[in-house]
Amino acid sequence: MVWTGLLVGAIFGIILQRGRICINSAFRDVLIFKDNYLMKFAALAIALQSITLLLFAQFGVIKLSAMPLNWIANIVGGYIFGIGMVLAGGCASGVTYRVGEGMTTAWLAALAFGLTAQATSGGVLSGWMKWLNKYNITVASNSSVYVSKTGPTLATIFNVNPWIITLIFVVLLLWYAFGTKTSQRETKINWIVAAVLIAILQPIAWWASAASGRNYGLGITGGWTNILSVYTGNKPLNWIGAEVLGIILGAMFIAIVGKEFKLRMPKKPSTYLQVLVGGVLMGFGAATAGGCNIGHFLTGVPTLAISSIVTSIFFLLGNWTMAWLLFGRER
Amino acid sequence: MAKYQVAKSIDVRGEVCPVPDVETKRALKGMKPGEILEVWIDYPMSKERIPESVKKMGHEVLEIEEVGASEWKIYIKVKG
Repeated sequence: MVWTGLLVGAIFGIILQRGRICINSAFRDVLIFKDNYLMKFAALAIALQSITLLLFAQFGVIKLSAMPLNWIANIVGGYIFGIGMVLAGGCASGVTYRVGEGMTTAWLAALAFGLTAQATSGGVLSGWMKWLNKYNITVASNSSVYVSKTGPTLATIFNVNPWIITLIFVVLLLWYAFGTKTSQRETKINWIVAAVLIAILQPIAWWASAASGRNYGLGITGGWTNILSVYTGNKPLNWIGAEVLGIILGAMFIAIVGKEFKLRMPKKPSTYLQVLVGGVLMGFGAATAGGCNIGHFLTGVPTLAISSIVTSIFFLLGNWTMAWLLFGRER
Repeated sequence: MAKYQVAKSIDVRGEVCPVPDVETKRALKGMKPGEILEVWIDYPMSKERIPESVKKMGHEVLEIEEVGASEWKIYIKVKG
């Protein structure tokens, strides 16, 4: 069933590349460039996914699972990840699809990201994780759409039907997406189409991933650590590892077709140093927080997971801190 | 060769996001009205973002010229 990961990843990679989807830019643009184009994509994608995921769960195709809440891990990891993505020149997914486009800075950032995530989850820094995991909070589920023991969600906290919270959530996000002025931009697929495609892909990804034994939706971090352990430790490729490979191959394919593939190298060598530091911070942050901008922000928030909502807020704050320091004068 | 009377030229090929955007804005700030800035880029997202953001600032985008495989030159006329 690992090959389904490759297929889902390839489709995801094509959407990311064509839609120019970068969560780092989405966060930063709102603050520095007063541009909400990608933030609107994120809001709409999250709104639509919260419906499609819940529909699939309601019909018993998938069981939603929220990551455990861990205040220290989510806040510290989220903030560090947020700082890292600005330095790395892209979030975990942005860097991953740019690997396929031939962006050499992304290669280094991705490698540093994967290695540090691996070191944090199972390597030299794993003592930190072992200590942190003592503070994981999980609760008994209040609805059949969730697995029996899950991280707390807005539905479990208020002890109401997930549909009620989801509908309120969706109305708020749709108001933001369609009720406010949108920055103009010319792209190959616009933000609305990209969000709809992701909302269709996400529950299918969850279902395919669960069939291989990993009960979660789209992600990046676990995929990179898996690919590295396949390479250095001869471990089997798992679903999420195949998905990340798929993203790279899908993005590479569509970039070549669109004549957008090129080996891109910056003139200032110090850029490599900057993305290296960014990759390290992202890897440490993502492993600490339990996920990156895809695992937590794009996939976790639609499940109403408190852990993902808290982490995403700190992704945003970390991003804004670093973006302000580097580019604040350009406002 | 030169299509326009370019007063300033910047080469931001290979730079990571959002350096091309930021460098363009920095360059425009130091220029006089009517002068033309040439921005050399190689990332498609820059081709889509930079013209929109400089238009928003009131400058005029004269042309986005394809100069090679995934390489473009954007010519921007400073407002005034």
